[in-house]
Formats: sequence, C-alpha cells, structure tokens
Amino acid sequence: MRSRARSITTPVAEIPLAPHFGPLWWGGLLVALSLVGLLGLTLVSSLIFGVGLWGVNIPNVWGFDLINYAWWIGIANGASLFAATLVLRRHDLRTAVNRFAESVALFGVICAGMFPIVHLGRPWLFYWVFPYPATYQVWPQFRSTLTWDFWAISTHAIVTTLLWYVGLIPDLATLRDRARRPLAKRVYGVLALGWRGSVRHWSYHQAAYRVVAILVLPLILVMQSTVAFEFATTLVPGWHETRLPLHFVATGLVQGLSMVLVIAMLLRRFLRLERYIDDYDVELLGKLTLASALVCGYLYFDEFMAILLSGPRQQIAGLNRMTGEYAGLYWAAVVYTVLIPQILWIKAARRSVVATVFVGLGISAGLWFDRFSLIVGGFQRDYLPSTWRSYAPTITETGLLVGTVGLFAALLLLFVRFIPVVSMFETRHDEHEEAS
Amino acid sequence: MASSPLDTDAIRARLSGQTGQRLWRSLEDLADAPEMRAYVEAEFPDLMRAGSIDRRTLLRLMGASLALAGLGACGDGGVSGKAPLISRARNVPGVAPGTPVIFATSLERDGYGLGVLVRAQDGRSVKVEGNPLHPASLGATDAFMQAEVLSLYDPDRSRSFRENGRERQDGDPLRLLEPIRDALSAGEGRGLHVLMEPTASPTAFRLVQAVRNRLPGARWHRYAPLAGDARHAGATEAFGRPLDTLYDLSAADVIVALGGDLFLTEPGSLRHAADYQGRRRNGGAATRLIAVESTPSLVGAKADERVVLRPRDMEAFARDILRALDDPAGAALDPRARRLASELRGAGPRALVTVGREQPAAIHALAHRMHARLGALSGTVRLLDPVVPPVAGDESLSALARAIEAGSVSRLLILGGNPAYDGPADLGLPALIRRVPFSVHLSSHYDETGRACRWHIPQCHPFEAFGDTRAVDGTAGLRQPTQARLAPSFSRDEILGLLAGQGLDGMALTQATWRAAWAETGEASFRGRWEKALEDGVVEGSASTPVAAAPRDAPGTPNAPPPGETDIVFAPDPSLWDGRYANNGWLQELPKPFTKQAWGNAALIAPETAGRLGLSNGAHVEIGVEGRSIVAPVWLQPGQAPDTLTLPLGYGRTGAGSLGNGIGFDAYRVRPTAQPWIGSGRVRALASSEKLISTQHHHALNSDDIIRIVSAQKPVAEERPEPPPSLYPPWTYDGYAWGMAVDLDACIGCNACVIACQSENNVAVVGPEEVARGREMHWLRIDRYFAGTTENPDTYFQPVPCMHCETAPCEVVCPVNATVHSSEGINDMVYNRCIGTRTCSNNCPYKVRRFNFLDYHATPLSASEDVMNPQVSIRDRGVMEKCTFCIQRIGEARINARIENREVRDGEIRTACQQACPTQAITFGNLNDRESEVSRAKASERNYALLGELNTKPRTTYLARIEKQSAGDVEK
Repeated sequence: MRSRARSITTPVAEIPLAPHFGPLWWGGLLVALSLVGLLGLTLVSSLIFGVGLWGVNIPNVWGFDLINYAWWIGIANGASLFAATLVLRRHDLRTAVNRFAESVALFGVICAGMFPIVHLGRPWLFYWVFPYPATYQVWPQFRSTLTWDFWAISTHAIVTTLLWYVGLIPDLATLRDRARRPLAKRVYGVLALGWRGSVRHWSYHQAAYRVVAILVLPLILVMQSTVAFEFATTLVPGWHETRLPLHFVATGLVQGLSMVLVIAMLLRRFLRLERYIDDYDVELLGKLTLASALVCGYLYFDEFMAILLSGPRQQIAGLNRMTGEYAGLYWAAVVYTVLIPQILWIKAARRSVVATVFVGLGISAGLWFDRFSLIVGGFQRDYLPSTWRSYAPTITETGLLVGTVGLFAALLLLFVRFIPVVSMFETRHDEHEEAS
Repeated sequence: MASSPLDTDAIRARLSGQTGQRLWRSLEDLADAPEMRAYVEAEFPDLMRAGSIDRRTLLRLMGASLALAGLGACGDGGVSGKAPLISRARNVPGVAPGTPVIFATSLERDGYGLGVLVRAQDGRSVKVEGNPLHPASLGATDAFMQAEVLSLYDPDRSRSFRENGRERQDGDPLRLLEPIRDALSAGEGRGLHVLMEPTASPTAFRLVQAVRNRLPGARWHRYAPLAGDARHAGATEAFGRPLDTLYDLSAADVIVALGGDLFLTEPGSLRHAADYQGRRRNGGAATRLIAVESTPSLVGAKADERVVLRPRDMEAFARDILRALDDPAGAALDPRARRLASELRGAGPRALVTVGREQPAAIHALAHRMHARLGALSGTVRLLDPVVPPVAGDESLSALARAIEAGSVSRLLILGGNPAYDGPADLGLPALIRRVPFSVHLSSHYDETGRACRWHIPQCHPFEAFGDTRAVDGTAGLRQPTQARLAPSFSRDEILGLLAGQGLDGMALTQATWRAAWAETGEASFRGRWEKALEDGVVEGSASTPVAAAPRDAPGTPNAPPPGETDIVFAPDPSLWDGRYANNGWLQELPKPFTKQAWGNAALIAPETAGRLGLSNGAHVEIGVEGRSIVAPVWLQPGQAPDTLTLPLGYGRTGAGSLGNGIGFDAYRVRPTAQPWIGSGRVRALASSEKLISTQHHHALNSDDIIRIVSAQKPVAEERPEPPPSLYPPWTYDGYAWGMAVDLDACIGCNACVIACQSENNVAVVGPEEVARGREMHWLRIDRYFAGTTENPDTYFQPVPCMHCETAPCEVVCPVNATVHSSEGINDMVYNRCIGTRTCSNNCPYKVRRFNFLDYHATPLSASEDVMNPQVSIRDRGVMEKCTFCIQRIGEARINARIENREVRDGEIRTACQQACPTQAITFGNLNDRESEVSRAKASERNYALLGELNTKPRTTYLARIEKQSAGDVEK
C-alpha cells in the first residue's frame, strides 16, 4: 500500500522538485515575462501621463480597463465556483483539476484586481475607498457600487487565496519532505505550516477546506453580481437591466470552466499527466462546459426578449448593440460562447486537445467580446443624441489586455514549476479508496 | 522737483488719482512720477552706505533689494512692459489686493467699436464682459470678445522689434523707433504708402490728418478682409452717397434677412439679437423673421421661415420682392418672393429687409428701395453717415498692389492687419511687399505680413492701450489699458502720433482728440467729462444722427449671374473670424454652431450635391476659382443651398503661432479681388480624405422630449404630473436654492456662453487630438439638433450645463463622496477628493461631466497662467470637473450680502454664461424667492425639465421653444 502511494505521488511531486525544466517551459516563461514587461510599461506610462493614454473619452469613460476587469473576474469567479463545488461535493473530478481551478481563480483575481486601481485617474489615492478614520472624517460613499466592488474584490481575493492555500498545505508538506536542496526544504517547510499529517491535522484540514469552499459559493454570486451592479444600477439605457447579475454569474461560470478545461488539457498533454487527469475527467469537464454554454445561449435569448420588453430607450440601446457599430462583437460573443461549444457534443472532440483548447479559448474570447459589447455599447445610444460617441482602444490599452494575459501565463508557468499541479493527497486518497 | 522728498501724501494722492471707486485710469504716468523716485530715495537712504555687514544689515539689505526689484522697473514711460501700473508702496484707496477691478474699454471689429468691461485682478486682465452702457453690446458679449483676453496673453505674441526677421533686442525700443520714423518721414512722404485697417477711431482720423499735413506726399490705403464695402457701394447706388444702415429689430414686425448673419457676423450683431429677442419676449412671437440664405446662419435657425437660395439667384429674388411690392399680381415672379412682398407690405414701415455683407451692392441697393417703398426708412431703418469711412478706389489694397508693381512705393508702413495672409490671392501681396525697399509692419504677431516686411514693430493689445472708436450707431467709446504692457509694444495711434510729431503717449493723443471735440467747455470740465467717459466706456450722446435720403432713380439693370457651375461663397468663420484668432486656443477649440467642428474648417456643401459628387464628410475636393485652386475637405451641411460651396476664411495660417499654424485650409488662396465674397468655380472630387474633428455628429432628434416646442397660442411644455416616487426622502432647502432656466426660444446658438464659461472657470484647452477622441472640456456645450429634411431642416440649439439635479445620479455612485450636494442645492464637485473613477460621468444622463484624462494645464496648448481666474482652482490630472453654477460668484455675493447683513438680491449673481448671453436666454437665481427672475421663468408654462422622467429633478430647466409663426399667424 505504502509503496503504491509513493509511486503515485512521485511523478507529480517530481515536477516542482526537478532541478531542470524543459526549453519549452523556459521559452514560454520568456514570452510571458516579456508580456509582463509590456504590462509594466503600460502601467507606468499610464501612471505618469494619465489614463488619457487610453481610448477612453466622454461618455465612454470606461474602456479596456473595465472590460478586462469584468473579464478576468469572470474567469476567476467561474474557476472558483467550479473548484468549490467539487470540494463540497467530494466529486472525483476534484482530484484531477481542483488545483488548476483554484490557481486559475487566484491568478484571475490577481489580473482583475489591479484594474480597479490602475484605472483610476489618481491611482495613488485608491485607498480612499477604504473606510479608514481619515483626519477629515470623510468616509466612503456606501451607496456606491464601486464601494461594494472594493469589498467584493478584496473578499474574493482573500477567500480565493485561502481556498488555494488550504488545499495546498498537505502537498507543500510532501514537497518539504522530498526536497533535496536545503533552501527548497526551508521554503516549503515554512509554507507547509508544520504539517505532519496527523489525523487531527487531516480532520482540521478537511473542515477548513470545506468551510472555505462553502464561503466561495455565495461569494461568487455576490462578486459577479457586484460587477454587474456597477452597470445595472446606473441610468445608462444599455446597462440598466435587472438580468445583468444573472448574466454575469452564468457567463462567468462558463468562462471559468472553459479556462480550467484549456489548462487541464494543456497540462495533461505537456506534463504527461494523463494518468491523473484521465479521460473521464476530461469528458466531464467538456460536458460541463457544454452545459454552461447552453445556459449562455439561454441568457442571450433572454437578453433579446428582455430588450423587447423594456422601455423604448432601452430597446434602442439594446438593439444597437446587436446592429450598431460594434454588432460584430456582440454576435461574435454569441458564436464563440454558444455555438462553437456545441461541437463538444461529439465525444472525440471532448477528448481532443486541439478541439477543447479551441473551444475553451473561444469561449474566453467570446466573453471578452460580450463585456466589450456591453460596456462600450452602453453609451452608443444614451439619452441625449448629442452625446453619442464611439470608442476605440489605443495601443496602450491593448497593452493592458495583452499584458495581463502574459501575467496570467507567467503565473501559471511558475505554478506548474514550483507547486504540485495535481493534488497529491487527494489522488493518494482516491487511490487508497480504490485499493481498499 | 516740486514736492519734498518725503511728500508721501502727494504719492498717495497720485496713486489714488481722481478716479471712481472701481475704475483705473491714467496709471502709466504714475510709474514715472518723480514723487515716487523721491520716495524710494527717502525710504532707503542707507543703501548707498552699506559698510561692514552684520546680520541685521544683511537682512535689511535683502529686504530692501527685494523692494527695489519691484520699484526699479518704474520710469521708462511704460513701453518697456515692465512698469507696474501701480506700485503698492502704500495701499491704494478702493483697491485691495485680490479684489478685482473693472475697466471699461473698447474693442474694434471691422472698425466698429464694441464696449467691454474687463475684470483685472492684481494687475492681470482675466475676464471680459459686455459694457451695459454700450449700444452695440448692451452688456452682452460674443465669443470673440470673450476670447480677447486669451489673445492678450498669447505666448506667441511678438515681444521685440525685428529687422529682416532677426530680433532686435539691443537697447531701448524708443531708440529703434527713431530711425524708422526718420526713414518713413523723409521727403515729405513721397513714395510712402500707409496701409491701415478700417477704423472708426476719431483719434486715428485726427492723427492721420496730422500725418497727411506733415507728409503730404504719402498715400493712404485701407484694407480688411471682411470689411463691408458692398454696403457702401449699395447705398451709393441707391442714394448717391455711401451711408451706413442701422437696423432697429425691436421695431420690426416682419424681417426679411437676405444673406449674412444678423446675429453673428453683421456689425451690430449683439444688438440685433438683443432687440429681436426683446421684442419677441415682450410681444409674444408677433415678429415674423424670414431668412433667405445660401448657407445656414444663426438667423436662419431662428427664422420662422427659411428660404434656401443659391447665391446667384439672390439678386433676382430681391428684384422679385421689390417688383411684387409694387405689383403684387405681376407675372413671372417667384411665388415665395411674392408672398414675402405681401408680408412686407402688410407691415409697412414696420418691415425690415436686411442684407448680408457678402451680398453684392445691387442687393443692398434693392433693399434700400424696398425700405423706401415701405416707408421703413423712418421706422426700422436708420441711415447714418458712414461710421467707418468707405474705402475709395485709390485707397484700396489693389491700388497699393498696383503702385508697388509700378515701382512707385519706396516705403510701406502697414499699421495692423495681415494683408500678406488675408489679401486676395490674385494680388500676390507677399512677393510685392518684399519688393518694397523699406517696409514696416506693426502687428501683435510676427506673422505672414511681418515676414515679408523689413521691420516688424510689436503692437500692443487693445487692453494695453489708450484709444477710442465708434460703435455701429456712431456712439463713441474710449479705450483704456486694463493692465501694464506685457512687452515693449506700441499702438497704432502711438505710431501715428510719432509720425505726426505728437509723441508716443497714447493717453495724451486720445485726450487731445477729445479736448478738441469738447473745446467749448474748457479744461476743468474736460477732466470731468474725460473721466466720466472712461468710467462709462462710452461718450454720452455721441451717437450719429440719422440722415434723410431718398433713392434716386429706378433700379439698375439686373446683373447676369456669374458663369460656372458651382457658386462659391467666402464667409467669416464663426470661430476664427478672418483668421486673427487662429492662435487663440479657446476659439480654435470652439465647436462651430452648425457643424460642431473644432480645430479646422471645411467647405460646406449640401448633402444632395455631395451625394451627386460622391463625397462624404471629410472627402477632399479641389476647388478652382478664376484659375487658382485649393484642396479642401467638405462638410455635408444640411440646409446648404445646392451646388454652393461655402468656404470659411481664417484657417491654413503659416504665421499665426505655435497653436494656429497649419490648421484647416486657407480659402484666401482662391479669393479674387473682383469678387471677394461670391463667385463661381468648379469642384472636383479627389480620392483622398481626412478625418474632420467634430464634437457632435449628425443625429436626428430621436425624441420629442429633448427640445420641446410649444405653440404661441397654448404655450404648455408639459402636463405637470405628480412627481414620480423616490426612494430618498424629500429635502427642503431653507436658505437659498439656486436654479437656472434656459430659454430655448431666446437662445440663438452663438457660443458666447461657451467661451464665457471657459474664461471664467479656467477650462482647459485640450487640442485637436484630444477633441477628436471626445475629450473636450467645455463645461457648457451647445447641443445642436436638426429636424426635417436635409434640404431645409429646422435647427435647434440647446445649451447644456450641469443640471444640478436635486436627486443627482452622479452623487450616489461616487465611492469617495467627491461629488456631493450643497445645502443650497448645488451639485458640488470636490476636486481634491476625486480619485477619478469616472463613474459619475457614467451615471450622468446629460453627460456634462468632464474628465482630466491628461494634465491639460501643462501642455503647450494650455493657456497662460496669467489669464486664469484666481477665484477658480485649476484642476489636476485625473479629476472630474463640471459646471458649478459659477460658485465663486455665488460665494462672492453671499459674502458681500453677509457683510451688509442682508439677503443676496435677485440679479446680484449672474453666472458667466448668463452675463455673456446677448438674448438673455439664461436666468439664474434663488428659487426660494418666488419673485426672483428665475422663479418667474420657471413658473412659465413653457418650463420643462430635460429628461425629467428620470426623476433627477434638475435645477436647470428649459423654457420650450415657441413654434415657428406662419404668415397667417401674424396677420391675425
């Protein structure tokens, strides 16, 4: 039994402990880090010269900043929700993909979390939204959805980090035990918080893990809804829809799922973890993605019907999103998030790396188009025709998008290098159960 | 020296002067006062004896040298630009640091005077208002007058003499002037030609006469690109002598405007707008205004009826009206002309026919005959001897060009103006001027003409000089400096005075004119009259008396329409005028009334014509006129006459300065001498195009709610429903409750309020790239909507400032409480609390919030700090800003009222936009005072809230426009 468990743990643990990593990894990291450099350049220049470097204007005061924010937070939320559900349901799939899902969620939050700060006109004063006892006794405006958003995103970041970290503790201990270099031993040791694998440890750990996972569930609904509220509670005709929170939660789920699917497929392929992320897992992920894509389809249908039922101004604004200047993006969102995932009905497609990666990335792109269409489309048919004006991003703004993608990729690459990509203890646990 | 060294009383007396409470005058001589020097000597006697230096002495010396640094500049007669107007060794009675001082002075446009009040603070002129005592402004201003104060501080203004392009900063400017004067005066002026801009200035006339006497050989020319020579020619055709026509719109029942823009470009435009609106306001809408025009004008937008005619058809149309006045049943008449004639006939002496300056003399003559026929010459029209004398043939610019070509010009003095840029292209002036051996150009900028001349002399701004002028009705107005000269520079009158041997003292030169004019009353009363005139800005009772004249014989034979397919109309630009404001950032960035184009111009073309030529907005065309051609982008202008191109002048400058160079196309390059206004040419579509910068696009009005129109009979803008429910508890405003009403029936869309707001509130200039991105900063914008057909649409203007909603959507969404409501109902913006989330702008349905996307006050385009209103903070990068209801003015009035222990009186606070408005479309005041003007305006049945259904409860509301009157309505 013991030897069997060891044999399972070894390949997964070997990955972070290996002294060398292939040229592919280095190449990937190099590309990702150069994109991170671009992101830094973009952020520094925006900080020095102001957000005027972006394509934002009056009335389109929000551009890529909020589009990217809403997009990344969608990825993070979807992935968290998925991971938490697996933990709570003790689903078999959790063994294989929980760690990715949690990591995707965490890195998504990191990418998303910077936007509410850097998008400010005076980002160095971001802490003013925090209710601290200022000398002038000025408090934040608690009626503002942006204040809610501050709470939502900070809570979300904390809980996501906890979920990821709590799930990681036993594996960190394993790494500590297997590390050969003293420094690695020391670092993993500190991170493992003195984990010795006693029964009491295991019992507390399971409780804590599940508690955090339970926390994630309402939080995800709150987080996505809060992002949606930033738009839905305004007077802007194209945004003022009660269905928007639902739209954000559900589309966020498919977005997170698709991202987990893509990364699972890529890791499985490139780290040769077929044994741990088996065909059954992949199939299930594909089916879930397909199901949530169908939900998305329903939501787009719902949106269309809701627009028809709303007031004349909302109708004009909504229909303009489907027929106006950026109609292409709206329909691209529908195609990418609803129609293309339909190929996952085919079993071969669900197992094919190319097909799933294509579908997954497509869904992500589609959701980005969806956010763009919503945020920019809001002002193309505002109340006063004299203020109608379009928006086009600048290179700097594009740097924000590409840069955060690079940051996300770099974090993922470092993750697979230094952290066990598949939960070792869960896998061992499963194997034990199978054996017994 | 008459006074003792310690005679501080004399200084104080001198400093205080004999002026009124808030008025400065004759200040330059203060700086040179011998008493002042004596005072300095007496005050710091130890300065020359500083021996061994201890700490105290050192400190004392440092203090003294600081003090002397200020005083040391005194004493070069003021031309150095360094002399302070007032040296505050002691407080000046009536002047406290930080308290604004108001000067009454005059500007000139096309030679006609415009009375303004300039607010100066701590020696800086910061704001222009209209002079209520001046007949041509009645307290209002237009955009150009407002923007003068920015031109004053134009960093590209010339600061030094130049010879052959090289700056001459060696020594005293006075010493540089002497050889120039001597060279110009040699040989009794033979071979000397002087070119001036047309002017109505009595002092200039007097000095020109004096120079003529001294230099009888000199020849004189006058030129301005927009001078209305056709009016005088038309009067000559009708009456046998040149006369000015003064319209009285307040007496007119039926007004037919043939071309031009009575409310924007014609001399006296402010008065026209005020008179028209005054009558409309008092007498309901009993006036019929009919605009007959080729290109949309503010009058056309306001008119009850608008007839679109090609320029070539205008004369025939006017002839038809005249014929129909005599013979209503006449055959072969244009039915529209017949109808207009019947309306005019119905109004009789209360009818008025106005003719634009761009129309040929024949049409002006026809209008005179119509007036005579209607009996209006004693009613709505007054004839005056020309206030700005007409330019005789041998005084014209082309006469000068011919003289240079003939080689008879050895010396050329150009006093102001920029003929090398704005002269007709066929004269080839830049090259001709270069041929003159000795040429001198007096100008505020080293511009196109200056570059062609040997000498350039910097000209001072009107706000830096003494002088005088006369308004359209002949009323004389004085000009006085409102601040010290920023650089050594001279006024036109000073240069004339130098040539006339009367010295360089502008005040003395002007005083001499008026001393002579008031000779009968003696010196003692002269001081009184002079000071009164300076304080008022106008000379009381100096208006011209109307002259009687009757048309001579029958109208001349019709002129054949010009050949060619496309009519070309040259027009003053509503933002840059004739190009003189090209370096003025406020005006460059000002969206033009109809196109909303900023930072550029375009050839206006009817959409149908453009469609036929396959042109879209911004497409390039080649425009050929009499053998010359230019390439220009087109703008599809609804309401433009077919096959007619309107070319706005004033762009495409090369010598304007860093801001104005190379923007737009230069229509002067195809402007011929013979047909300077209306000609014909050909248009060829090119393959290229450019993106024109515009702040608003052509959007049809998608809702009846935005601009409401009521009938004159039942002027109810909205049924007043129960206010919709609100989640927030009602709030009562106990003290003041500020509110504004904007009368859409009065608004003519002239843009004066936009610049007034920009000037008052330190609104940044952002530049063409930023405007193209949609980031202009205007706190007050004028929305323009079209309705109806593109051939002849209705045009509506709607000024939109912040609405100061009582339930302001912007306030609840700001996470840091940077925009909050005041106890007086104002939606305050706390700049230093703003972190720039911009979400307030999202939630503002009116989109009146403006964001500092970049550091707009630190760009090369940004206005000089000197022009900033010190009572309004300059906004940082990354913060939101918007209309504050001119809260600094409210605060000032509140403080004054509190000091005097009273309430703020109605009308005591006037917002900048309100003050500038020529038609008093904007009222502002306390809504809690039932009797206030704004309360009464809001009680009008025409009152409605923009987007009121959103329950934002805006404090700014609109009075609906009264629908156009058809001919039948008025006859009833």
